[in-house]
Amino acid sequence: MTALAEGTEGSEGTEDAPRPQRSRFLAAAPPLLLVAGLAALPLTGLGPNSIRLAFVTFVWITASVAWNLLGGFGGQVSFGFAVFYGLGAYAAAVAINAAVNPLAAFLLAGGVAALASLAIGLPTFRLKGPYFAIATIGVSEAVRVVMTNLSPTGGASGYRIVEPGAFRQLHHFYTALALAVVAVAVSIAVRRSKLGLALVAVREDEDAAGDLGVNPFRTKLLAHALAAALTGAAGGVHARYAAYIHPQGEFAFGIGVGILLMPIIGGLGTIWGPVIGGVVYGLIHDEVVASFPQLHLLIYGSLLILIVLFEPAGILGLVNRVAALARRRLRAREPRRMEPR
Amino acid sequence: MTAILRVECLTRYFAGLAALKEVSFEVEQGLICGLIGPNGAGKTTLLSIVAGSLRPTSGAVIFEGRSLGGAKSFAAARAGVVRTHQVPRPFSALSVLENVEVGSRFGSARAADGSLTPRRILEWVGLAGLADAAAGTLSVGNQKRLELARALAARPRLLLCDEVCSGLTGAETASVLALLREIQRSGTTILYVEHNLRAIMSVCDHVVVMNHGRKLAEGPPQEVQANPEVIEAYIGKKAGKKAARQAAPGRDG
Amino acid sequence: MSVGMTIVYGVMKIVNLAHAGFLMLGAYFVYELYNRFAIDPLLGVLLAFPAFFIVGMGIHRVLIRRLPTSDQPTLASLMLLFGLWLVLQNLGYLVWGNADRSILTPRTLSVMNIGPITFPTVRLVVCGTAVASLAILEIVLRKTWFGRAVRALMQNRDAGRIAGVNVERTAQVAFGVGIAFAGAAGGLLAMLYSFSPDFGGSFLLRAFVIIVLGGLESFAGVAAGALILALAETFSILALPASYQPAIAFSLLVLALLVLPDGIAGLWIKRRRLA
Repeated sequence: MTALAEGTEGSEGTEDAPRPQRSRFLAAAPPLLLVAGLAALPLTGLGPNSIRLAFVTFVWITASVAWNLLGGFGGQVSFGFAVFYGLGAYAAAVAINAAVNPLAAFLLAGGVAALASLAIGLPTFRLKGPYFAIATIGVSEAVRVVMTNLSPTGGASGYRIVEPGAFRQLHHFYTALALAVVAVAVSIAVRRSKLGLALVAVREDEDAAGDLGVNPFRTKLLAHALAAALTGAAGGVHARYAAYIHPQGEFAFGIGVGILLMPIIGGLGTIWGPVIGGVVYGLIHDEVVASFPQLHLLIYGSLLILIVLFEPAGILGLVNRVAALARRRLRAREPRRMEPR
Repeated sequence: MTAILRVECLTRYFAGLAALKEVSFEVEQGLICGLIGPNGAGKTTLLSIVAGSLRPTSGAVIFEGRSLGGAKSFAAARAGVVRTHQVPRPFSALSVLENVEVGSRFGSARAADGSLTPRRILEWVGLAGLADAAAGTLSVGNQKRLELARALAARPRLLLCDEVCSGLTGAETASVLALLREIQRSGTTILYVEHNLRAIMSVCDHVVVMNHGRKLAEGPPQEVQANPEVIEAYIGKKAGKKAARQAAPGRDG
Repeated sequence: MSVGMTIVYGVMKIVNLAHAGFLMLGAYFVYELYNRFAIDPLLGVLLAFPAFFIVGMGIHRVLIRRLPTSDQPTLASLMLLFGLWLVLQNLGYLVWGNADRSILTPRTLSVMNIGPITFPTVRLVVCGTAVASLAILEIVLRKTWFGRAVRALMQNRDAGRIAGVNVERTAQVAFGVGIAFAGAAGGLLAMLYSFSPDFGGSFLLRAFVIIVLGGLESFAGVAAGALILALAETFSILALPASYQPAIAFSLLVLALLVLPDGIAGLWIKRRRLA
């Protein structure tokens, strides 16, 4: 779908090779400013409801960016990321209840999810695209069923996290923000790395990639594990906030769908597309479910159809197209100042 | 002379149809060995098996003394056997340079010779000016060059070329053939499947002819060209008989 | 006797044969049919074929045709059809609510005796209909020009075009046939089970498992795969609590994938064929 090319902010087409140091600094500035701005958000006097919304959005951004590693860069569409989200939630919950340090609990959540991804990936990555996708649906449902029946973790009645001390919302806010930042950093690192190159090659043409020495199976497993770990951590972070989790909520098919929708809405296969998608989804999801409880599937389904048919590159693609159009219009209007006739 | 590749009794069935029947031959190190035959002879099947894209029904592929034994294509590439594709398969979303980088960052396990960077390879192949173009936008001729560049970047000891000249103009063909000779000079052995007989005859040191899944003949280009059975396979019985008569005058008047 | 169910799963699997990727739609469409023809289930199933055929062709015309084409099922088609499934599910909820419904006729409760074994009539009827439809489909695919065209396109669109196949038309008709079978299959299943708008999911998965087990190529494969699945589900009740049931299909799938050698069905990461 989308090219691997870096988001074109900052580079104006035909200029001489820029000095590497300066351009890297310029490119890093906007995201850093963004993070600083977000970190300062609570200081602006936002109410707890808005803070909660931001918190949830950060969690979604993490999951979205994570999914994009496998689904966007690698082209392997998994509907089953609710498994990692849920397993991470439960792992963290159990750990925290056992008085494990929350940070360690989140790492554990990521680890558990990564292991699960290996167990799932080993059989399912043998399948081609859509069949892999269907298989992941099966995984999701199967895990949900199993967890619903598993009594040590409360089964269908759910599981409660009990933590000493008062509830500090800002604490959770910054944790989620930090996790989202980590996720984006991982995303950038992967895309620049050998793994990133391998993923795109596998996505574009798996057989040709193999012919050149790329091991497609291992590549997918690796990306899957990274994505699962981040998603699991996100689940853990959210679980700690909610303090109560249950299988119908954590492993819901809707979560898997949401996680997949976000990068598609924002711009599949890019760095910032999933972030945009996460923001959009995070901010409107609750609204949508609240205002149109009967219609949210319809809305998301139609959105998906429209995106596939008209703008496969998502919001980022739309923005790029509009920007390119604007640039062309501007250039056409400029009087020629170059070569003398 | 050492044989870098030995193909032993390779057989491959596709649901009851024998595409390859007990084909055996050797490729000497450092040579360009051509593989020709009329359509359906099984050349590409054989190439695919050597490259690891396809598994043989029976038989062995021995590369540098070790059996490749139905290994997957990435294992073959790691061992030093890299192929190009008859119909180019570029990674469209990546730039030309990035395509070559896939070859160079993966490819054979052999340590990289520092001088052959992706950019150098692009220069060698004539694509330096298009390094940042999206691979999907290239013309067919350039896509074929990219195939070669990518495969070269993977540091092959045995390069499998699948009809690199098909669909090219005369001038393009000549330059690709010259490229192949340079590749050979740099130490890489080439197994070259081609339909364009003139190209094969001009550049190959040794030629293997296949027909209906079997090896028909092999030898130096001139010898193979004059072989009556080969002529019959390509053109027809009459021409074959004529060639046989010419080869043995006075036999049947 | 779950044999009837197994054949019905098989019908759904054939849905996929014509053009991969729209399996998801099938189960859902079923639902619409049932309620409309609640009066007349068997006749309803028969009517489902043409009704859904038309719907399928329409969907193809409006949506699918705009997708970039390729020989392999693409991500774009997957997403599109998934989106469509969501929309349809929602429409289902809007029109019919999320209460479970079922079709009850005198047939539902009656039994028939064949030899020493007693069968619920409805299962026999369902099984029979499914087998008949499968057989007809098999004949069409193997004996008619259309059937051969479809099979050709499944392998290589361009080659098919060169051979004289009208690709767009054939694809459209094939899609229509697929949807028709999905609709009919749903109808048959509705005679056996109660249903709600999210009816499709578990059957989708089961159909998929059958494909993996039995392969895409033959009728015998379908039947075999379906049988294995049915037996596994039936006997698992003896070993596991009933609530684990839905996970059976998937576990079987995982097992199959781990154990079966690759290269069996068109689903596997294919080794490249002759160029």
